[in-house]
Amino acid sequence: MAEDLVLDTAIRDWVLIPLSVVMVLIGVLRYFVSKLMRSPATSPSPDPKLVKEGQVVIRARNLRTNAQFIPAKAFKARKVYYTNEENGLLHVPKEDAQKAQAAMFSDPNMAMDMMKKNLSMIVPQTLTFAWVNFFFSGFVAAKIPFPLTQRFRGMLQNGIDLSTVDVSYVSSRSWYFLNLFGLRGLFSLILGEENATDDAQKMMQMGGGFGFNPTMSLGAEKDSLDIMQHDWALPKMERHAEDVLKQLLKK
Amino acid sequence: MAAAVAAVAAATTAEDEARLLRLEEQAEHGGGGAWDYLCLARRLRARRPAHVLRVGLALLNNASARSGLASEQWTLYEQVATAAMDCQRLDVAKDCIGVLSKQFPGSTRVARLEALLFEAKSEWAEAERAYTQILEINPFDQIVHKRKIAIAKAQGNMSLAIGYLNKYLELFMADHDAWRELAETYVSLQMYKQAAFCYEELILSQPTIPLYHIAYAEVLYTMGGLENLQTAKKYYASTIQLTGGKNTRALFGVCLCTSAINQLTKGRNKEEEGSELQRLAAEVLLNNYKQQAPSKAPLISSLLKNMKLS
Repeated sequence: MAEDLVLDTAIRDWVLIPLSVVMVLIGVLRYFVSKLMRSPATSPSPDPKLVKEGQVVIRARNLRTNAQFIPAKAFKARKVYYTNEENGLLHVPKEDAQKAQAAMFSDPNMAMDMMKKNLSMIVPQTLTFAWVNFFFSGFVAAKIPFPLTQRFRGMLQNGIDLSTVDVSYVSSRSWYFLNLFGLRGLFSLILGEENATDDAQKMMQMGGGFGFNPTMSLGAEKDSLDIMQHDWALPKMERHAEDVLKQLLKK
Repeated sequence: MAAAVAAVAAATTAEDEARLLRLEEQAEHGGGGAWDYLCLARRLRARRPAHVLRVGLALLNNASARSGLASEQWTLYEQVATAAMDCQRLDVAKDCIGVLSKQFPGSTRVARLEALLFEAKSEWAEAERAYTQILEINPFDQIVHKRKIAIAKAQGNMSLAIGYLNKYLELFMADHDAWRELAETYVSLQMYKQAAFCYEELILSQPTIPLYHIAYAEVLYTMGGLENLQTAKKYYASTIQLTGGKNTRALFGVCLCTSAINQLTKGRNKEEEGSELQRLAAEVLLNNYKQQAPSKAPLISSLLKNMKLS
């Protein structure tokens, strides 16, 4: 077991606390900057097509999950209404699906918004990381008050290449990363749930390209309905009702 | 699990309603808690216009109390205006709306109140025009769509109401309140096939609500025909199952369906004869009447005998 290290209180006062405070302030600042940069919505009302598609999906899902409660004839009529190849509500022609995607990619406002979002995320992160790297690299900043396994070394001792140091010691660079991803809860308290500083979420979104294609959910719902078999539950209900009435008469 | 959640919700609602009545009495007798009462009435969506108007006006007329509310006073103005229209105190409503439109020029919410005032005055054309203007700005304003339907119904123009409802449901297909309204409107016009479709939609969206099952069964029973009657009987049975046999209407429904099926098939339908459901329903029905309305029990007994069910 490695010997305990004695950490200078100056590290706490001049590294640990300032780093956390700076990270919080940068997060708040970034929130307001991104709010200013966000382009105002061109129309206050949502796209009618999207609203309608969303409602169709809900209605089709209701049909799929509760089909056993309506007669076979009613189910068949609805199934045709949703899935027929000519004008079914869930049927999306191939060219339409491609058009929708092309429109998303060619929309300059959307591209601009994406760039602004990425800019508001990358620039401050690059600067703060450079600042941390320059001033606070290569030393231990804190100790976690419980033991950890070796797997945590890479996460907690970034920038320290000593295998003899106990895993529960945190390097200053790792403290920066812990703050970067761990202040999410604090930001949601300070700035409200819908804050623009959730880095982990943003990083995930960056890989996802231009958002989700609404026509995909229609297609998925159509496929689910196509393969569905109707099994009416009401005949069984008569027997259940008999049991209920027998129970009532016994009382 | 679902039953437990429902029980908790029911208990909470009952508790809130009791608190509302307590606060109402307190506020009426000048014991304070006026603002709490108004907030709770808003949260519970309780329609108690006379009380809200009295308590709300008292608050609005008290300058210090009103200024103490800060930005909340505008919500109070809105609440009092709505209550005033409900009580036909159109002068009060007009004053409140005037204050709001001065404070929030061009607000859709205030425009909605102004249109509502036209409705209260029975100036239907003006109200319709006002709502149409709001919908031009925001075609997804559900409240405004519903107000237009209400105007059509208030004028007794049911076919127009149906048109508006269908238009609304093209946009908001998942709104079960609208489906229910449409179903009831179709029933009032004796358009049973269309009403049946609407009740099917309601059953699909909320299959555990017995009200929809029984309404659908009644529509099918009214339409008549062997297939419809057999289906209606099944839905009456499902209502019995969902209500634990406590729904008298469903018990009657089973008896009536069985009687009608027997008349149509003239004893050819062996499966129906073999079913025990109608006998049990008749027995439970008779027991219920003996317990809760003994004077009517002989009447029910003879009715069931005439149906050859008892």
